[in-house]
Amino acid sequence: MSDDTTESDVSLLGDARKPLGRVVATERKPNTPHEFHFWTALESPVGIGTIVRVDGRQPVNGQIPRIYGVVVEGFGYTDLVSPLHDVLSHDGQPASAGFASSDRAEIRLYTAAVLRQIPEEPLQPVPMGDVYLALAEDVNVALRMDGYLREGESTGIPIGVYRAGGTDATIYLDADFLVGPEAAHLNITGVSGLATKTSAVEWLLASLFQHFPATHGSIAAVCFNVKGPDLCFLDQPGKLDEGDLRLYQQMGVPAEPFRDVQYYAPYRARGYSLNTLRSNEALSANVSPLTWGLREVLQFAEVLLNRDDIDAKADALIDFITRNVLDQQFTDSMLQRTHVVQSFADLEDWFKDVLHGLEHGNKESWRTHHVATIRKVRNRLSNIAVRCAGLVTDNGPVSDLPFGAFQDRATYVIDVANLEEDAQDLVFARVVSKLREHLERRDLGVRHVVVFVDELNKYAPGDAPDTYVRKMLLDIAERGRYLGLVLFSAQQFRSQVHRRVVGNSGTSVFGRMDADELATPGYSVLSPAIRTKLATLEKGQLMIRHPHFTQPIFVRFPRPAVMTGRTGAEQYPQAGELGLEESVYRSLRRLDPSITLNQVQDAVGIHEERDILRACTLTQQERPSDVLGAFRRHLPRLVGGSLPKPQRAVPALSVLRGDDPYGS
Amino acid sequence: MSIDALRAVRAFLPDAELIDDPGARDELRAGAYDEQPQVVYTPCLEESTLRAHRVPGDPTVGFAAFLDGIQRVHIVSHLHGVPIIEGIVAAVVRVRVNRRFVTWGHRTPIVHRRLYVPFSFLPEPPPARVHGFDVVDTSSDAGEPIVLSRHPAALRATAFDRIGRDRERAEREMAELWCHSSDGDPIYIDGSISGQGRAAMAPCAVGVVKSHTKLYADDRALDVVMTLRRGERTSVFELRSSTRPTVMSWYLRLRDPRGHDAMFGLVRVEVTLDTRDVTRRADEVSRWVLAEASPIALPDGRWDRMAYGIRDCEEFLRAIAS
Repeated sequence: MSDDTTESDVSLLGDARKPLGRVVATERKPNTPHEFHFWTALESPVGIGTIVRVDGRQPVNGQIPRIYGVVVEGFGYTDLVSPLHDVLSHDGQPASAGFASSDRAEIRLYTAAVLRQIPEEPLQPVPMGDVYLALAEDVNVALRMDGYLREGESTGIPIGVYRAGGTDATIYLDADFLVGPEAAHLNITGVSGLATKTSAVEWLLASLFQHFPATHGSIAAVCFNVKGPDLCFLDQPGKLDEGDLRLYQQMGVPAEPFRDVQYYAPYRARGYSLNTLRSNEALSANVSPLTWGLREVLQFAEVLLNRDDIDAKADALIDFITRNVLDQQFTDSMLQRTHVVQSFADLEDWFKDVLHGLEHGNKESWRTHHVATIRKVRNRLSNIAVRCAGLVTDNGPVSDLPFGAFQDRATYVIDVANLEEDAQDLVFARVVSKLREHLERRDLGVRHVVVFVDELNKYAPGDAPDTYVRKMLLDIAERGRYLGLVLFSAQQFRSQVHRRVVGNSGTSVFGRMDADELATPGYSVLSPAIRTKLATLEKGQLMIRHPHFTQPIFVRFPRPAVMTGRTGAEQYPQAGELGLEESVYRSLRRLDPSITLNQVQDAVGIHEERDILRACTLTQQERPSDVLGAFRRHLPRLVGGSLPKPQRAVPALSVLRGDDPYGS
Repeated sequence: MSIDALRAVRAFLPDAELIDDPGARDELRAGAYDEQPQVVYTPCLEESTLRAHRVPGDPTVGFAAFLDGIQRVHIVSHLHGVPIIEGIVAAVVRVRVNRRFVTWGHRTPIVHRRLYVPFSFLPEPPPARVHGFDVVDTSSDAGEPIVLSRHPAALRATAFDRIGRDRERAEREMAELWCHSSDGDPIYIDGSISGQGRAAMAPCAVGVVKSHTKLYADDRALDVVMTLRRGERTSVFELRSSTRPTVMSWYLRLRDPRGHDAMFGLVRVEVTLDTRDVTRRADEVSRWVLAEASPIALPDGRWDRMAYGIRDCEEFLRAIAS
């Protein structure tokens, strides 16, 4: 008996070792090398998705052929030629059918798609033979998992459990085909609202972190939380029932939340508090701001500017600024002073100086750039800080993901759920580009990164104009596996995602599907029965396509051991909009719980808002032992930092004398 | 026609002419070829004259099993007009378990494949068994030679008759075994039980005859039979024979004959002779037979008289004896 088989299954397995069906072939329904038909008893446990084994009778090249197949279609019928005959049988009274002495002869006829034939050559039509329910060891062979589950060099990543009859077999994906280098990427499709897509990805990440072979190096995940609180509580325990716990145990994955999770979110537009649903103070320890300055943004200006803006002239000016102006001393005979552009505010000063020079000199161009182009680029770039307020700081400090110091088995969640579309695009583009840069240089900190992006219908649609984000997703899908950059993506309508994104996904996962979606041509390769099963799939069930599996396989997976977004939002309600001092107080108290609001208020004093936020962010990045001292140190000194000297009293010209009120 | 049968004929009659398309003839009744329609007087057992009786009570499921046999005939070849005939006879008991039919586990179905040949018209007698086929001499019966016409049609008729008798023998073997081993559970036998040997004397055996070439009623009694309404039976009468056990019988109308032939839904039931409380016995068995009118045996052409259990037996035998 297999290790995957429980004691309670013994009786069922007893049946599994007897034939449950027989292969049949007729001229109208012949068997082929890829498909065969068999019948079973009415009470047999066979259903759509069941894996079966056929033992042939005649040896081929001295070996008895053994064929594995998965049931893809089922038929049932009686010897009734016309429905009218049944009406006649019961005098048109359905109720009287229950009193009939006998039931009609009935058949259960199934069609199975071949998963594997042994021997594999010569490839012949499936022979007549007895059909058996596949046991756990049969499932391993049928799905070619025996090739990558070898003792000591296994690259198997459990994705779920296949159950049929008494068989209870763990299904593994091959890490080499999930994370690379052979194939890579995973795409998941399913209707919204059943918590299938997010749950499946959370479960698979947990399994991947647990079972990713040490020989393949380190791995981390970057998840974009694009809606609601879905991914906001990955480090909090969720509710699991006994069935879930059994599945975790069977698949060797600890039933616990992610251990190392870091959250990143931009500020709200006012810049006081983070723009995330994970803003409850109790969970703030691993939440960091995500703020970028001019340098970070300018490289991806294309993301924020529409194609009409970025003509060749504007592109040339932006390139000039990036190469010659940014982060260096810039002098020009036309300018009034030397500029060091490090922020949007600096850039605005630089533009003003350039335009002033042009106007003053009555010139139409400067360094081949026409004044109209300069005005247009100034207008568009200056606008970015407003459009992406909270993410892009005018002249504040930069707070970014720890590129270069990524930790093995760590999860980095970037909450962009509340950002405007432009800002979301910017985040995607920059983070993924940075990941790719570092992976190319092998200095990210980990060797592989899984990037999870939901809502591909929005970010990589098949029939919309090309965008920077879509190009970037295509780039990951097509070239990421060579770098260790792996895309886990999800969407509701696979048919409406760019074909090259889903087509490059080595592994495809399907939850319950919408019937309209299943009617699209992409699903025509599935049998009607498989499509029906997909349309009625219950929670916790998935259909898997993987390079090693020649046919889709249905599996069950446990609920993720993390708190659901809905529960988390109820248990840890979002903090309200805070005032400036309160916001700084909460940020600093995370570093030093002894700090009081009064101390913060004293330190803040009459400083400018942007200076206070800058000091707060720098202090958080620095994480000093003397938090309050560091905060004060980062605040700019106030001009004329001494009190005015007390004025000497000036005596009156004369002293009133006695009772003469008018003086002398 | 099977390849095996052709091989067998080739083995002992290499000069025989093979018939390309002999066609298959399913003959389900013995003696179907020469029986002439006739009306026969029989003494009434239940009362003085044959009358119609409404069967009291609702139809009741009483049969535990069904027995039927088939015969298949193929003219494989001929030697100067002498037909070489492949005959397959088979019989089975199908028991009802949870309203579904399964083959009786006590006895596997009987299936015989034989070649029927008039040895006297062959140059030399063939071996008794060739390529898995028993070879039967139709020019002798029980070891005694019989005089046959050389006319091919007459030779064919003799072979068909022999095949029919072999089928009856197979059915009788099954029926006797059931009556001996089944604790007396009632069995529905397709056709007369009077030829079923010891089974004809077993209370558990009920024969239901669908064909009425011979009608056991005359004059006014025939009017009673022809005007039976659905759920009615005739009085019980006695069938005596010098060669077969005496049984008691009655006609029963299973379906409403309005708009149909006068024989529509008409069957004749046979049970072993038991003169104790004949009416109660006839009513009880009639209720059992009426219960088998559903489900209907369509698409069989005899569906109005055939029980579904018998159709199941025939389908089963066709599947294994093809």
